[in-house]
Amino acid sequence: MEHMGIEPERIQFSWVSSAESTKFVKVVNEVTAAVKALGPNEHFTKANAKVA
Amino acid sequence: MKIVKVDKKDWTDGLAKLYRTYRLFGPVKEGAFHCFRELAEGDRPDFEFQNTRLSAKGIIYPQSEDMFVYTLDESREDHHILKEAPKDDTPRAVLGIRPCDAKAVSLLKLNFDTPDYKDPYWLDRYNATTLVGLACDQPCGTCFCTSTGCGPYHEEGLDLLMTDAGDHYLIKLLSAKGERLAQSAGWDGEIDGLAVMENRKKAAEAKITQSIATDNLRAADTLALHQADFWEEISFACINCGTCTYVCPTCWCFDIQDEVHGKNGKRVRNWDSCMFPIFTVHTTGHNPRDTKLQRVRQRFMHKLKYFVDKYETGIMCVGCGRCVQHCPVNIDIRRVCELMNSHAASDACAAEG
Amino acid sequence: MIKYSDSIREISERLLKECRVDMVIGFRRGTVPMMNEPCFAKTPEEVQAFVWDSNCGINLANYLTDRKEKIGIVAKGCDSRNIVTHIIENKIKREQLVVIGVPCKGMIDKHNIAARFGGEILDVAEESDQIIVKGHDFEETLAKEDVLQENCRLCIHRNPVIYDELAGELVDEQQDVDRYEEVRRIEAMATDDKWAYFDDLLKNCIRCYACRNACPLCYCPTCFVDESKPQWVGKSQDPIDIRTFHFLRAFHCAGRCTDCGACQRACPVGINMRVFTKKLEKDCLDLFGWEAGLSLESRPPLDFYRPDDPDDFIK
Repeated sequence: MEHMGIEPERIQFSWVSSAESTKFVKVVNEVTAAVKALGPNEHFTKANAKVA
Repeated sequence: MKIVKVDKKDWTDGLAKLYRTYRLFGPVKEGAFHCFRELAEGDRPDFEFQNTRLSAKGIIYPQSEDMFVYTLDESREDHHILKEAPKDDTPRAVLGIRPCDAKAVSLLKLNFDTPDYKDPYWLDRYNATTLVGLACDQPCGTCFCTSTGCGPYHEEGLDLLMTDAGDHYLIKLLSAKGERLAQSAGWDGEIDGLAVMENRKKAAEAKITQSIATDNLRAADTLALHQADFWEEISFACINCGTCTYVCPTCWCFDIQDEVHGKNGKRVRNWDSCMFPIFTVHTTGHNPRDTKLQRVRQRFMHKLKYFVDKYETGIMCVGCGRCVQHCPVNIDIRRVCELMNSHAASDACAAEG
Repeated sequence: MIKYSDSIREISERLLKECRVDMVIGFRRGTVPMMNEPCFAKTPEEVQAFVWDSNCGINLANYLTDRKEKIGIVAKGCDSRNIVTHIIENKIKREQLVVIGVPCKGMIDKHNIAARFGGEILDVAEESDQIIVKGHDFEETLAKEDVLQENCRLCIHRNPVIYDELAGELVDEQQDVDRYEEVRRIEAMATDDKWAYFDDLLKNCIRCYACRNACPLCYCPTCFVDESKPQWVGKSQDPIDIRTFHFLRAFHCAGRCTDCGACQRACPVGINMRVFTKKLEKDCLDLFGWEAGLSLESRPPLDFYRPDDPDDFIK
């Protein structure tokens, strides 16, 4: 995805077990902040097919 | 038929005048090949080409087009109403279409304009389009138009036919649409160019080195051709892509798909190819043509036999050679036609025998 | 190359006469420059049509999928790796095949050659390592190494990795080849530039699916682009859908692609979609030390969990 021109911060991976609620909150907050900082995604969006 | 002379130094002037009335389309070189693109004001079509990679078919019949649109958003006044998708049907002119592609438009018209069904999308664009042909003085090594009922100076389907005579163009006006366009462009220098054009036509036709024989196809027995033993060998290499269909100026099949985004949707028509495995899948899941052999056979039977029988106007091919040049595995319609035509001949002999 | 044609015919004839195979799949001379047509021979006489030259870029392993016969198959280095992948993926059985291995020094790039000349090319002939190109009013000799397909230029597996017969002597493998120079060039671009690069790459795509269909790996009974319930990808010329088709197809080939170049050769508008798969090939090599189709014994990385699989991208 990154290779194709999506900012790498938009896609993140994390292991969070259901017992790690604190980590879950932390990850969600961090990723949300990181993505918001990038602004709305303009690249891989399709509203309706752009055709003739 | 009136012929006018247009000096090349006056060409851009004429284009500028045309631009006031018509959207202009012409061949443009992009990367390694030419394709038809809409021309902005001041742009010139590039006539230094033999033929475009894709045919001009897409100007009248776009590869993907909206059929209707709708919204389910009840805050909008037009919610739950199927609306025809807005189209731009202002007059347009295609500059530099080759006679093979123009004849192909006439063949397409047989399908889209019938006594029973008239395709409004295709016809609206067709009626708004004036075709300005550019005769071929240097045909490709793979062209075989003269044996398909076409030729480098063929006039069928064209509104005007231009030929490049060095420092000027000779332009033959072939229809009312053509005359209107010539008037808009200020092309009024009438000249007695009939003999010159006739000579140029003969010279161009002499340069066509390839031909196919189609004389036995009409009389051939359909079932015998269908059950011939050469289909296995012909179809083996086929990878069932849509290249031949999409580069072909006479292919017309399409698929209709609905696309939805949130509360808005549209119905879209896309080119389709009988070579794709799912082309004939039924809603039950049954697929009458689920083998490669059946599909390849279908393509050539349609073009060289069924169409011949149904419309009695020759084969569904104008000899442009694009499928021959671009098939990834070099399946050659000229070879297939030869096999079909000679099979039919031997068939006839057996019948008479 | 003439030697290869002769030995392929000789071997095929022998295989058919001895009934070791029901058919042999190879190439016959094409009807236009720089093209050969995949074909089969079922009788010893039919093998005379077989040829081999530097226009055999289509991957014949594509024709093996789910076949039931005993087949002799002509395979260059990359093709043979796809045969290995086919066997591992249960698309053909090893016992069905007699692989006629062809040590390969590269195929010429028809798109590259065509783009060099303004006029139509009427004939392309090959003489040892020179390519002679003729048109209406030109004739030029090119060095074969200058017009090789890009994947061949970077190839380090020219010899077949599996074979039962050899059509010629094994060739030296290329050394010190930087296979991922182009990939790194793109990796170094800024995000917006990357997006624009791929936009430009795909702008002429007509969704003919020649690339997909020429690829031996693409054998799904229903391709994801053909699904309509649900419709994963739109079927139209919408640019996002076109991009999605290409990158998702590349993902399906991750760890399996041998960079045979058939996809690019097949494309009627000359798109270099190898750019997608080459990146994935590099990633598989970097992350898993894996190259597709080299051995019948090892399972591919996406098939097989190892505790030391890289996971430093997971926070």
